[in-house]
Amino acid sequence: MLGLSNQALSNLLYWVTRKRWLIFAFAISLFLFYVPSPETLSPEGHRTLIIVVIAIILIVGEVIPLPAVAILILILEVILGIDTPNGVANSFMSDAVFFIMGSLMLAVAIVSQGLDKRLALGIIKMTGNKTWRIVFGFVSISAILSSFIGEHTVAAMMLPVALTLVRNTSTDQKVVHRLATLLLFSIAYGCAMGSIGTPSGGGRNVIMIGYFSEFGLGNISYLDWIKYAYPMLLLEIPIAVLILWMTFKPNQTILDSAVRKLKVNVTKAGKMTGNQVMAILIFVAVFLGWVFLSPYLGLGIIALIGVFLYLSFGLIEWKDINRNTNWGVIILFGAAISLGIQMKETGAAEWVANQSISIMSMLVDDIGFMRWFISVFLTGLLTNILSNAATVAVLGPVVLDMGGNPIILGLATSIASAFAYLTIVASPTCMIIHSSGLVKSSDYLKAGWKLFIMSMVLLFIISNFYWPYLS
Amino acid sequence: MKFLIAIGSKEFSETTLELGMRVARAFKASVTIVYVGEKISAFSTSEVLMAQENLENWELDRQGVDVLEWAYNYLVENDYISSSAEKEGFIGDKLVQTDDDRCEVFLEGKHTQEVGLILRNGDIIQQLRDEVKRSEIDVTIIGASKKRRMIHDLIQYIDSSIFVVKNYDRKRTYKMVLAVNDAPNTKKAVKYGVRVAQAFDLEINALTISNTKEFRDNYKKASAWADTFLRRAGVKHSINLEYGKFIETINLIAGDDHIIVMGSSTRSPLTKFFTGSKPLNVCEKCNCPALIVK
Repeated sequence: MLGLSNQALSNLLYWVTRKRWLIFAFAISLFLFYVPSPETLSPEGHRTLIIVVIAIILIVGEVIPLPAVAILILILEVILGIDTPNGVANSFMSDAVFFIMGSLMLAVAIVSQGLDKRLALGIIKMTGNKTWRIVFGFVSISAILSSFIGEHTVAAMMLPVALTLVRNTSTDQKVVHRLATLLLFSIAYGCAMGSIGTPSGGGRNVIMIGYFSEFGLGNISYLDWIKYAYPMLLLEIPIAVLILWMTFKPNQTILDSAVRKLKVNVTKAGKMTGNQVMAILIFVAVFLGWVFLSPYLGLGIIALIGVFLYLSFGLIEWKDINRNTNWGVIILFGAAISLGIQMKETGAAEWVANQSISIMSMLVDDIGFMRWFISVFLTGLLTNILSNAATVAVLGPVVLDMGGNPIILGLATSIASAFAYLTIVASPTCMIIHSSGLVKSSDYLKAGWKLFIMSMVLLFIISNFYWPYLS
Repeated sequence: MKFLIAIGSKEFSETTLELGMRVARAFKASVTIVYVGEKISAFSTSEVLMAQENLENWELDRQGVDVLEWAYNYLVENDYISSSAEKEGFIGDKLVQTDDDRCEVFLEGKHTQEVGLILRNGDIIQQLRDEVKRSEIDVTIIGASKKRRMIHDLIQYIDSSIFVVKNYDRKRTYKMVLAVNDAPNTKKAVKYGVRVAQAFDLEINALTISNTKEFRDNYKKASAWADTFLRRAGVKHSINLEYGKFIETINLIAGDDHIIVMGSSTRSPLTKFFTGSKPLNVCEKCNCPALIVK
């Protein structure tokens, strides 16, 4: 057959079956390329949307490495005549990319300090041994910490605390399944909720701030963002605890022995070391920099200053940062932001916004609600199958071109991208707790849909009745 | 020879492990046991790796290590690996990362030559394919999956013989159905069948199935050759020629108390992909363990 040996043919078939999404993306892009551009869309805008479609298919399918998707986006932007090579290079690197890079490196530096044992002791001292109080503590601490230092950092530190409590309760997984699920989801959902609190809670927040500036909508400072988002975070915590407790109510209402064993375990760590103190001081300095200096230096540069200090003081080795930093994600987010900027420049974002509104207007009369629904609901759904930062990078320009109050819609989009409760792949925190082997994929939907709806309702109330007073 | 046994959990993999080890012992093969965990999204690989490394600081095992430890203990308790080296043991926290998605459990002493324990993450077919290629595996042993696609992909893409352990009950007395015809892989299948039969003390039913009432000369020759080979090997056997549809006939005869051994299909991969093959259909429809020899 085709002059190929059976082995070569078998390998080819294997490649085709594994890369079917790549072939589908290629076929659909060819088809879209030869479809005439709509009258209201420029040829450049048309071609930009083709790249968006390809990128989404390849990211969701994960058939080629993420950096390859990023590189393809950049190549296609030039080859399809959307921008010049220098223009593409300029749109690729921004403060938001610096921030994502810096925060991923900071995460490695912070996790490697062994501060999680102090954290465990702190939580247990506050909560005592009642399970519901421990769950409340897990959700609160995860949410508050991840509002400043990135959700996966907190999840990586909290995971061993939860697993130690579970293991100390019983080694029989059937006995502790509900307890394990409850504690692990307290971490994952707490981190997701917390990531909306400040710009440094997630790269997507910084991407949206970048778009505000790019679209000439003004600058949102670190403290401004907190004023908008933190009340929602604080309101979500008790509701989430209640939902999680009702969904995964454990057999163990008191974890007396498990807590005692945990205390013994963590007290062995001894007193805080000089390096740990230094690590905390540097992070506090970074945080103060974000609050007071970000208008002048940018959030990304401040994060990189933190990384520089960690490296300079020998608190982390470069090889550790290099090994544990997801460079593919950084490159991909750079490319996604570049694509978002091209969507704006070519008018593709505005065209998609107008089309979405005209389609939705057949169903709903209230244009304000329609805009809100498109930005929040679509973002909430996409974030569960794509990635929250990629979702904001692609949808952000569309939302900001939809009319209405772009600041409110932009913030709502960014916050909705944290509603990653429904699937394992929704966010690194969901993946981290899943990697423990103690939660099943079906568990994500059990509590996830309730939290998703609760968060949507809460966001609707806050964005309509609280944010207008701040604008 | 090298055998690969894929296990998934303590609850469901015991029979796969037991049958796999007995067969491996019959072949005097070295054994690698692999646990394949779920695929980690590319967006989260570094983050998950970081979290897992952090678990090690707390002396907590990452997912799958407990299953490998259980498998290791099972091998020691059942004398599949030498008891003299028993104390040298399993050191679950000494995982050697040999690749992005592959870790090897560090075993001290002699055990390192007797058994390999591998932890992998990702698409199971991709991972098994990689492991088979990397370690030059001859036979892959795996429990049955409810997913039709899984059996198809195993037989189509894994470049080793495949032993699917389906509905195996250690209390049941088994016989063997050995499919004999003029296909090139039949001779190898007969040789494998003899080893397995000797290991389990099974009686072999060397079965030749023709879809017409007239048996081709090649079929008769193959059957005669099998008879001679089995007699020389000293295995209790019977030679049977049946008329009917291959899949239905072999599965009817095998029932749930036989182990099926047959050669893999020699059809083109493209034809197998679109129209399937006899081994694939047998594996899908049978209700007993089946060894497809490549």
